[in-house]
Amino acid sequence: MNMLMHELRQNQKTTIIWTLSLVAGAALYLSLFPAFANETAALRKILEGYPPDFRKALGITIDSFASISGFYSFIIAFIMLAGSIQAMILGTSIVSKEERGKTAEFLLTKPVHRSQILTAKLVAALILILITNVVYMISVPLLLNAIAGATIALKTFLLLSLTLFFVQLFFLGLGFLISVSAPKIRSVLAVSLTTVFGFYTAGILDSIIGNTAIRYLTPFKYFDFSYIVKNGSYEIRFMVIEVVILILAITTSYYIYMKRDIRST
Amino acid sequence: MKVIETNKLTKYYGKARGIIDVDLGIEKGELFGFIGPNGAGKSTTIRILLSLIYPTSGSAKILGKDVVEFGAEIKQDIGYLPSEVFYYDNMKVKDLLNYSASFYKKDCSKRIQELVEIMDLDTSKRIDDLSYGNKKKVGIVQGLLHNPKLIILDEPTGGLDPLMQQKFFNLLKEENNKGVTILLSSHILSEVQRLCDRVAIIKEGRIVNVEKMSDLAKSNYSRFKLELRNPIEEGLFTLDGVSGLKIENNSVSFMFKGDINTVTKIIASIDLLTLWVEEPDLEDIFLHYYE
Repeated sequence: MNMLMHELRQNQKTTIIWTLSLVAGAALYLSLFPAFANETAALRKILEGYPPDFRKALGITIDSFASISGFYSFIIAFIMLAGSIQAMILGTSIVSKEERGKTAEFLLTKPVHRSQILTAKLVAALILILITNVVYMISVPLLLNAIAGATIALKTFLLLSLTLFFVQLFFLGLGFLISVSAPKIRSVLAVSLTTVFGFYTAGILDSIIGNTAIRYLTPFKYFDFSYIVKNGSYEIRFMVIEVVILILAITTSYYIYMKRDIRST
Repeated sequence: MKVIETNKLTKYYGKARGIIDVDLGIEKGELFGFIGPNGAGKSTTIRILLSLIYPTSGSAKILGKDVVEFGAEIKQDIGYLPSEVFYYDNMKVKDLLNYSASFYKKDCSKRIQELVEIMDLDTSKRIDDLSYGNKKKVGIVQGLLHNPKLIILDEPTGGLDPLMQQKFFNLLKEENNKGVTILLSSHILSEVQRLCDRVAIIKEGRIVNVEKMSDLAKSNYSRFKLELRNPIEEGLFTLDGVSGLKIENNSVSFMFKGDINTVTKIIASIDLLTLWVEEPDLEDIFLHYYE
């Protein structure tokens, strides 16, 4: 419990900043909606002017853009990208920072099992991500109403917004695995950004080519927003893939960390 | 029951040698020194004892329990001070000490207060505002605050001024009088000499000798140093028992072990300016092991 509290305290500031930024980002995009909704015809013209591949890459379909659920899908895709970076940085740093900051000799000479350390860190990261999502989920519907002057059916909103949480979980798990197996990472930021943008680019590639096997490789494509809006559900097979990947990442992390030497620097 | 016991403890980092077949037995209440140059394997041994790293082969027990299997339990009773201390920079000293104390199943607040006063530490400061010496003090308090039964120190005095060092050593002696076992690793001989009862000498990963400090100092080596009026013949002091012979212009120095009369007879035959015969200090003995 003491380690959990310690981790929460250590990360509270960055989590608050990330959470506020995500909400602010959403607010910024939402403020554009009234203009879009009122000028549908003009918007259609502008969008048609863009090359089709470009539209596909950004996930823009002309018809969906004028409806709030379509517009929000567009927003959540960007929020998801930012949130992924948050989760990836958190996951990548939470274990490796002890060795990089040379505090591992403090923590690991305390009377605790290594598994307890990992659990405390994992739970702390999970709580921080949850807090981010809860604040987001509560504030964005209010903003939708206030700024965009529109409402989305609760279920659609939840399904769309929860994709943020699930994609964050993916990157948290991946970051955690990297954190445990490569503790000497010089720059967490560089590793996190490259990884997230790598997956994001793969996602864009899939959009341009259209429904390829790449979909299975990048979490950004596990959730098809138009599918969610249309069917009111997720695609089960992608949820299964995500859960399997997460379980693998976490169990491997524990396995590696239990056996590894903590080398001095 | 021995407090620390290792059995053919061996560690390789890939192919690089860490330690080989280290056998140590440290009794309860001992002040045990562990000495050797940098890279000899002192820290490797200590890191295995603390289960920061795992042995390639062999085993180590602390208070009768295997360090790999029971690492977490054992550490309730170990206090550790690393050579370089690093803590969470954004924490205040008192928060760090309380965090440290929160790992132990006892109330440490009184002991923290005592130690902070002895070490003259300002606990309201942030860790990253502290000087190196003051960080070290935090390390000392942090390592002792739970009244450990075994204290492990890895090159502990760097960064402490002589006065603080004295206070720190007194503190350790006090703990030792209460029955606490201490393992002090160092490459500074005087440090070990001041504090320890027994010493293990480690060289290139192997223990070359374990001796009582008093025996080590008392070994019948003598250090001879002569200043001469005239140069001497080269071969004059080439005899059994002489080591480290150095002849420079008109001065000669060497270590001698054996019947002192054989040397004094030779010396009597030469024209001297000055003659010193001294007990060797640990440094000399140490060098002897590293020849």
